[in-house]
Amino acid sequence: MKRDLVAAGALWLILTAIGELLAVFVDFYPLAKADKGEDIEHAFRVLVYFAVPVFTMVVAVLVYSFLRQHTTEFPTDDGPPLQGRGSIPLAWFVITSALTLAIAIYPGLVSIPNIFGDEPNPDLVVEVEGMQWTWFVSYPQHDVARVSELVLPVDRTVRFNITSRDVLHSFWIPGFLMKIDAVPGRTTTISLKPTKTGSYQTDPNLRVQCAELCGLFHSKMRIPVSVVSDEEFAAWLEEQAGAADAAPLSEETEAADALSGGIER
Amino acid sequence: MAVAAAHADVKARRPGINQLGLWLFFASESFLFSALATARFVIAGTDRPDELNQALGLAITSVLLLSSLTAYLAECAIARDDRPAFLRNLLATIMLGLLFVAGVVVEWSTAEFHLSEPYGSAFFSMTGVHASHVVSGMAMLALVYWLGLRGHFSAKGYWGVEATIKYWHFVDVVWVFFYPALYLVSW
Amino acid sequence: MTHTAEREAPASAWSALVPLARGVLWGLAGFGLGVALIAVLRAGAGRSAWSLELSITFGYALGIVGWLFGVGVWERWGREWFGLSTKEGPTGWQRYFAFTLDHKVIGIQYLATFLLLFLLAGLFAVLIRAQLLSPEGAVMGEGTYNQVMSLHGIIMVAVAVASIIGGFGNYFVPILIGAEDVAFPRVNALSFWLVPPVAVLLLTAQAVGGWDSGWTAYPPLSLQNASGQLFFSLAIITFGLSSILGGLNFLTTIIYMRAPGMTWGRLPIFVWSMFSAAILALLFTQFFAAAMLMLILDRIADTSFFKAAEGGEPILYQHIFWFYSHPAVYIFVLPGLGLTLEILAHFSRKPLFAYRWAVGGFLGIVGLSAIVWAHHMFVSGMDKRLIAPFLVTTEIISVPTGLIFLSALGTLWMGRLWIRTPMLFAMGVVFNFLIGGVTGIFLADAPTDVNLSDTYFVVAHFHYTIIGAEIFALMGGIYYWFPKMTGRMYDERLGQLHFWLMFLGFNLTFLPMFWLGLHGMNRRIATYTPDLQGVNIFVSVMGFILAASFLIFVFNLLRSLVWGAQAGADPWRARTLEWQVSSPPPVENFPAPPVVSGHPYDYGVPGAPAHGVVGMAGGSDEVSR
Ligand SMILES: [Cu+2]
Ligand SMILES: [Cu+2]
Repeated sequence: MKRDLVAAGALWLILTAIGELLAVFVDFYPLAKADKGEDIEHAFRVLVYFAVPVFTMVVAVLVYSFLRQHTTEFPTDDGPPLQGRGSIPLAWFVITSALTLAIAIYPGLVSIPNIFGDEPNPDLVVEVEGMQWTWFVSYPQHDVARVSELVLPVDRTVRFNITSRDVLHSFWIPGFLMKIDAVPGRTTTISLKPTKTGSYQTDPNLRVQCAELCGLFHSKMRIPVSVVSDEEFAAWLEEQAGAADAAPLSEETEAADALSGGIER
Repeated sequence: MAVAAAHADVKARRPGINQLGLWLFFASESFLFSALATARFVIAGTDRPDELNQALGLAITSVLLLSSLTAYLAECAIARDDRPAFLRNLLATIMLGLLFVAGVVVEWSTAEFHLSEPYGSAFFSMTGVHASHVVSGMAMLALVYWLGLRGHFSAKGYWGVEATIKYWHFVDVVWVFFYPALYLVSW
Repeated sequence: MTHTAEREAPASAWSALVPLARGVLWGLAGFGLGVALIAVLRAGAGRSAWSLELSITFGYALGIVGWLFGVGVWERWGREWFGLSTKEGPTGWQRYFAFTLDHKVIGIQYLATFLLLFLLAGLFAVLIRAQLLSPEGAVMGEGTYNQVMSLHGIIMVAVAVASIIGGFGNYFVPILIGAEDVAFPRVNALSFWLVPPVAVLLLTAQAVGGWDSGWTAYPPLSLQNASGQLFFSLAIITFGLSSILGGLNFLTTIIYMRAPGMTWGRLPIFVWSMFSAAILALLFTQFFAAAMLMLILDRIADTSFFKAAEGGEPILYQHIFWFYSHPAVYIFVLPGLGLTLEILAHFSRKPLFAYRWAVGGFLGIVGLSAIVWAHHMFVSGMDKRLIAPFLVTTEIISVPTGLIFLSALGTLWMGRLWIRTPMLFAMGVVFNFLIGGVTGIFLADAPTDVNLSDTYFVVAHFHYTIIGAEIFALMGGIYYWFPKMTGRMYDERLGQLHFWLMFLGFNLTFLPMFWLGLHGMNRRIATYTPDLQGVNIFVSVMGFILAASFLIFVFNLLRSLVWGAQAGADPWRARTLEWQVSSPPPVENFPAPPVVSGHPYDYGVPGAPAHGVVGMAGGSDEVSR
């Protein structure tokens, strides 16, 4: 039995080593293009590091038990009558509890304020309204209202104030790894900072994708996202202001509740 | 014969089985009622409209509590084979139940808030679901009354009576929670 | 003792239809009455007599009563309420089509019904995968896709709720505890006969426009939907009632009907898992029913529980819904895990490792499952202060789950693994549920869930827990108990072929879905961005292989049912009580009352007494077949 323990333990170690190596070198996500996206990717990676030895342990026991003794005929004798009443279950209980608490704290609890927190003084406020089946984006600081594309300056903090006109939607930018539901009657927020330039044309994950089932054209409810330099952003704003004949929004509507009143036709 | 012995064993356990089944049913039902009560506080907050008819609310609450007393008396009566008292109290319970339902109907038709307001949604659905339980309880009581008239039930066997009256008490207890949640809560 | 029931001359085949036909007729009469009632009331109030959803709701409420009474409640039960004597039901094979009280018949009724529904919803899955062969959708429009996806979802959820519990729970819990039936046989039959209306409602919803809000039916979308949504809600309430009554019955049965000597410490682990699932079904199902009730009222009675514009709260629905639906995943999976442990012990020829800890695991999951629901709502826009506590409670649930893994691994360790089809499936469950469990951590962890929620990562995760654990356990259980239920052996080679095709097909279908989720594919979409097409084609092809494996399964079952070798009472030489009686067991289960004096899994324990002995009439071999 002792030899079996050693052999299975060795199998576990080998599998774990392979697994951890893969975990370090495999890119799980396509390049995250926002600060919080990078944090989320990091949290994901940490969880994988924890998960690998758990996974390999179960696999090692399964595989080793199978290799050690299996038969297609009715076994001639019974297995060793291990009841599992002693300290092994207790040790297992303590270790799994400790592991669980560890990952609940890090990367769990520790990351919540960062990921879910709001930027109080963002460089840019973007108001988003979902409706079946598109998104309307407004830049109240820049008098740009209700465009169906999202353009953001790189390395600037952005706060999105999101709401919905009809049913639930979910504001998701896969390239940023961030999402929040759009709820009628409420304003939900996310704050983040794009860190890399790019556009939907070259990276399909740079899109606002509705991620909450919202009826007929749910899957098509997506608009392109571009992350551009400050200069390009300014130029784009200019262009929009020229094109828009919509009445500019007043300063007061910058408040978080602007969407409920400000943009209604 | 061995099978017969096992059968007798199950028979001996039958009262316990029935009791447990009934109480589990109440446990389950209480989850339904607490879902409704939760919804009431989530959508309408911890307040109530001033236009509530407090007198009527208090009156129907008293009527329902009183009906639990007569129900209890009916059960005691059949336990000592006092059929006239049993039937009398059963009838009183049904009548009080009717009075309660009538009170709810009045409440509904005179309410000054509308179904489509958050509080109205909670009020009408909570009282409605509860009243439907009262009505089903009354139907069961009526059946028990009819059977009792025809000589069913005795001190030796009255599970049908006991179950029905326990159910009646349960519905009553639900109202004990619903009444303050709808009529009294305010802060 | 032989089956007295089967000795009587079988009536003509048509007579089997009589109870069903009466049920339908009385059901239609009830429906008409309900509609008429509403018509009278509305006409009295000066409104049009027919209001689609209101009339249908009331018609259905009375219709279901008519159906139940017609199909057998009246003859076998209701007459008693009015002091009349009840009538016996049909005997012979006709009892499978009637309001029959024998828990074994009800178990078979459940199994057959839900296997059919499983295959049907599996066909919908094939349609879904066919659609996703192309980024623009290969076979249907978005509208049809959303409806097919919704139907697939809710039917599979129903299968997950009721196939193991209703099938094996009914057939085997009484036998495993040494009882002759469940505590409330008539309630049991009632539970089953509530199911056909559910299937009819879900499958006829298309006639009134269907519904496309998935199995979750979130408002406001579900308020905006066509009347199919109403059918959905009525179906859920009906099914919920069935499941609540089932839970009540199992709890009472396990508490009161155990044979002498069947202490709580000697209960087979499958019974413990059923006990746990029954608690959850009994209590939490009411919340799903309540959510549906509020949805119906919002639709037909002008209330505004979930209407933001009137002051209602759409997010309230999600709280109520998940307060049931998270425990529901344990209703799905706990009986599957119990069944898996059962099979692992018998086929490893070893005691179940850490039995008491495993029981603690089941009960611990029951306790914790009430306080984890909002992990489905980390990005729903709910109060952000709720995120941290629900993250912690959810992570903690992996501790009791870990105890079940401990039991499985300790049992396998150094066991004499007898590789038969049930054992392969049980080991498959351990592997699949491991992946399901580990990936659950990523979803429970709020920061990573921000990206993963509502993506194919979630789809992969819950298919690993539901198919990977429960459906694999269901298949293992079918092969394990097939000889007991039918008296015949299945074909071992076909069984193992089914396992390997299903195991590989399953893993190759769903592993890549994790990748899809990480790379920007969200769930419930009829079309997707073209960069994901390659992996989607792979997934679809593997999914077709997974689907094909069930053809082997069905073929094996049907063939073995007729031509399988005689199985004998105890083909697995297992210790639990069901193997101590004939295959199939006699109507009263035990020809003589069983006496239990040992633990069910004491394989190889020196001097351990038999788990149970069936009466003085002799051992299992003398039981007539
Ligand atoms: Cu959508
Ligand atoms: Cu959950």
